[in-house]
Amino acid sequence: MRTAGIDIGSITAKAAIVENGKILNTKVIFTGYNAEAAGLKVYEEVLKENSLSKSSVRKIVSTGYGRNSVKFADKSFTEIMCHAAGAHHLNAHIRSIIDIGGQDSKAIVLDDQGKVKNFVMNDKCAAGTGRFLEVMARALEVNLDEFGAISIKSKNPSKISSLCTVFAESEVISLIAKGEKRQDIIAGIHESIAARVSSMSARLGITEPIMVTGGVARNIGVVRALEKKLGMKIEVSSYAQVTGAIGAAFLAASL
Amino acid sequence: MKKLTELKKVVSNPYAYVRKYKKQSGKKVVGYFCSYAPEELIWAAGALPLRMFGTSENIHLADTHLQSYCCSLVRGILEEALANRLDFLDGVVFPHTCDSFQRLSDIWRLNITGQFHIDVVLPVKLDTPSAKRYLYDVLEKFRKDLGDALGVKITDKMLAKSIKTYNKIRRLIATLYELRSKNPQILSGADFHAIIKAAMIMDRDYFLEALSEIVGQLKKAKPAKATGGAKRLVISGSVCSHPDIYDIIENSGGVVVGDDLCTGYRYFEGIMDEKKPPLKAITKRYLDRIICPAKHFQLKERGENLIRTVKKSKADGVVFLLLKFCDPHAFDYPYIKEMLEAKKIPCLLLDMEAELPPVGQLQTRFETFVQIL
Repeated sequence: MRTAGIDIGSITAKAAIVENGKILNTKVIFTGYNAEAAGLKVYEEVLKENSLSKSSVRKIVSTGYGRNSVKFADKSFTEIMCHAAGAHHLNAHIRSIIDIGGQDSKAIVLDDQGKVKNFVMNDKCAAGTGRFLEVMARALEVNLDEFGAISIKSKNPSKISSLCTVFAESEVISLIAKGEKRQDIIAGIHESIAARVSSMSARLGITEPIMVTGGVARNIGVVRALEKKLGMKIEVSSYAQVTGAIGAAFLAASL
Repeated sequence: MKKLTELKKVVSNPYAYVRKYKKQSGKKVVGYFCSYAPEELIWAAGALPLRMFGTSENIHLADTHLQSYCCSLVRGILEEALANRLDFLDGVVFPHTCDSFQRLSDIWRLNITGQFHIDVVLPVKLDTPSAKRYLYDVLEKFRKDLGDALGVKITDKMLAKSIKTYNKIRRLIATLYELRSKNPQILSGADFHAIIKAAMIMDRDYFLEALSEIVGQLKKAKPAKATGGAKRLVISGSVCSHPDIYDIIENSGGVVVGDDLCTGYRYFEGIMDEKKPPLKAITKRYLDRIICPAKHFQLKERGENLIRTVKKSKADGVVFLLLKFCDPHAFDYPYIKEMLEAKKIPCLLLDMEAELPPVGQLQTRFETFVQIL
């Protein structure tokens, strides 16, 4: 049986095709202004890459903040449910998930069946999200994809004390003016995200093995900083950014 | 239901209702700030007790007096007063509860003129014999102060009449809670919320009449088709003046079947003994009612009450709606959460301000919570 999962996030739209328990293909595009159009586009593209027709897909589940705008989906689940399902299928041993997305971050605790036991969500503030990193990348004139690699060279991360994205940006600008090394500033930014996310996760009571999902999981600097703050080992799948879409596709198979 | 439509109209613009009511009835209007205000005495004195709910406007005037760590309820109420939107009030009554409200009382006294101002200094510990004697004295003093301010002598006969009215309202509200707990679909959460809120705004005699009619009709109403497996939730917190939250919960596959709210069951619970001397009966009700976290009654009473509410309403889980910076509630949360967990009752914590968080993210939380129940 072939199923699909569509995850409409605040920055990117993701699609995954799953067939008989195996991931066939995944795709990421920018969401842009029109979530509904993005959902359709990412779905058509993921199918096209594998030369599949829409009629060959049995069931579709949508997720993410734009889940209700995916009109062709059979059902929608929250991204918390889908990240849990996705992480469980990628690695059945996972007991906790930290999902750092574009506009919020979440910590999720799973039971031994991979079901969501408890969760917490930060939506108050952009610090601790992908958007925060985007703002910083612009201020530092560095491509966001290079952030991870640059930051792990740092031996002396800068201190970013502001908790607000706007003020943190001006703090970063003054660090640049002071002549601090770019790698130290970036490492400092990663540590400040890790501090936010880890205190939220610790309050929930996460346990190992932990997986980091969401777009920010692609940034090795953030993952390392989180490991340091939590004092725990973290796993990252190569599917980190599309975990929600994969979970949605697996949930579609059980509809 | 015509009466329900009428109540909803009042709730959507309480100030317009009160202004018109005041003009037509010639009655005085007394603002009060929490469910510990003994409003039975205000109504007995012939004035309209009006609960203050804060504001949906941007808060800027209040910020010159209050630190940002005060809750949005306290800041919002002060904003309304400073912006002159409460100029119809003849007086205000501040019961002694949390710190922020005590300071609000001081600020009010210094800045809001042209109305009388009474602090009702309630005991904090309610489970001691001296609290009982003390509360009685406090209420006796309140009776005199309020009577002086309003230019009436509040007699036992007036009190007894008011007690009867409140008892009738409280019995009917208890019936309404039961009806909705049994058949949540007979009345939407938002409509239920409107009725409860109207009870703190409207002429109490007229409200009683409207409520009797509504409850009578609901008793006869056949439940519409069952809400296919909606999860039953109990809400716990201080004030909840967001009718939207009930819609969001219902859209997420849940339904509110009980509460432990200051603008909910805590406000109504407790029938007064009509055979007792009236002030003694009122005293007993305020000592015995379900406490709020700014009061003390044995060590774990709030947690135990919440567990009783969950069991009685056969709820699947509890949602804590805590106002940000409400420290009494925040201090109680960890122990109550532990007690719920020990009983395997799942709970969800949402902290919020006068403005709700973005609907999308709220919906994600409720949907997930309902899905894992």
